[in-house]
Amino acid sequence: MSHVIPDVALIDNSDERALLVLVLDCSGSMLDEGKIELLNDGLKTLEVELKADPVAARCGRVLVISFGGDNSVERMGEWTDAMDFTAPTLHAGGMTPLGSAMRGALDEIEEQKSQMRAAGVTYKRPIIMLLSDGEPTDDWRMVADECRNAETAHRVNVMAIGIGQANRDILGAFSNKGALNLAGLRFKELFIWLSRSIRAVSRAPTGATVQLNPVDSWAQMQT
Amino acid sequence: MAWKVFFATATGRTHQQDGVPCQDSGGYLVRDGILVASVCDGAGSARAGGEGAGLFAALLPERVAAQFPSGPPALEDEARAALARALGEVRDGVATQAAGRDLVLADFACTLIGCIASGEGGWFFHVGDGYGASRGRGGEPGAISRPENGEFADETYFVTDEAWADHLRLTPISPPGRGGVIGLLSDGVAPFAIDRARSGFFAPFLDPVLAYLAGVDEAAGNEALAHLLAGERALEISADDKALLLAIAT
Repeated sequence: MSHVIPDVALIDNSDERALLVLVLDCSGSMLDEGKIELLNDGLKTLEVELKADPVAARCGRVLVISFGGDNSVERMGEWTDAMDFTAPTLHAGGMTPLGSAMRGALDEIEEQKSQMRAAGVTYKRPIIMLLSDGEPTDDWRMVADECRNAETAHRVNVMAIGIGQANRDILGAFSNKGALNLAGLRFKELFIWLSRSIRAVSRAPTGATVQLNPVDSWAQMQT
Repeated sequence: MAWKVFFATATGRTHQQDGVPCQDSGGYLVRDGILVASVCDGAGSARAGGEGAGLFAALLPERVAAQFPSGPPALEDEARAALARALGEVRDGVATQAAGRDLVLADFACTLIGCIASGEGGWFFHVGDGYGASRGRGGEPGAISRPENGEFADETYFVTDEAWADHLRLTPISPPGRGGVIGLLSDGVAPFAIDRARSGFFAPFLDPVLAYLAGVDEAAGNEALAHLLAGERALEISADDKALLLAIAT
């Protein structure tokens, strides 16, 4: 190729960060049908896919929150740049404290955002992806309202996804977009889609939600 | 003052992967020593954002030039009023096209960074993200028009918004002098061409580019710029579509 301009140096100022919190159901029912193993495999896929894309690897920042046990919410490690993200291995058992887990996710995001603002780093609208196969065993209504309000204020984008027999009405209360159902147990497709969503530096008009790729690779279409 | 104008676009990696064409566009004209130029970035979230960018970028220079037959005014109020008229006309034109296709203006959402300049100086006019930057003949920094984003970097304002006039920002450009340069950059170009302090061009980027462009005609220069924007390093730094317009005063 001719027309090569010699000696051009490109700076890299693309430091807009894409925050992702995964809020993952590890209640006892996730042991059925090998769901927890499929979820763990899905997380590994996410790790690989994020690292495979130079922009996502540099800009993505991930936190995993699991909930289960004796109504316990566990933060699986620290916020991690996508390039350093190692998928945790989750173990299922116990209750479904979904409300507390979502409360934790909202708090974590606000905390992370204030740290970034202080450091002069810009960020895109954070994504909370909630995955559950059941219904909450704790108080969830108030935090669901907060999630929807946070979405309305463009502070966060909540994706609520039901697995199997999940109570989709309750999950849908966490997002203005309602909930989607995972078709079959397509965790891998879901996480590939999620990594693509993180990759897409998609922009939306003020007041609108960020447009993401079609979900037909993993979502169960309503009938 | 004469102007040598170079312009190129490149499709970003995200759109390459999805098989979507570049959503950035640009347009310019030079008449009686007056340069009018625009770069528009179509909203990925709009139904026809890329098309909107193409329409705005193509229609705008003529409409703006018509408002300023004797060149850019020195007074901001005067410049703003005339630019608002020109942009209003372009918006009306695009809205008419939209209506003919059962679409609305918002379906053509795009950002806008433009300039009108003569040897006496001029104005950047800006709605949304992207950058305008100028530099004097000796490399001294000139004007900078920075992006206006919402709380998040992926939220911006569009020339198609209802409140567009509230977000129309003007920045004065000082007389460029021969060898001075005015640049319009979409947000896919700024991350590697604007310095870390966001104060102007990143000199190690611009200097070699200008040195090269000084020795070629516009067609060859455009090809070289396109090659640069589509290069591996540029694609790595920003996944966004890219548009770069450089006008050199001669």
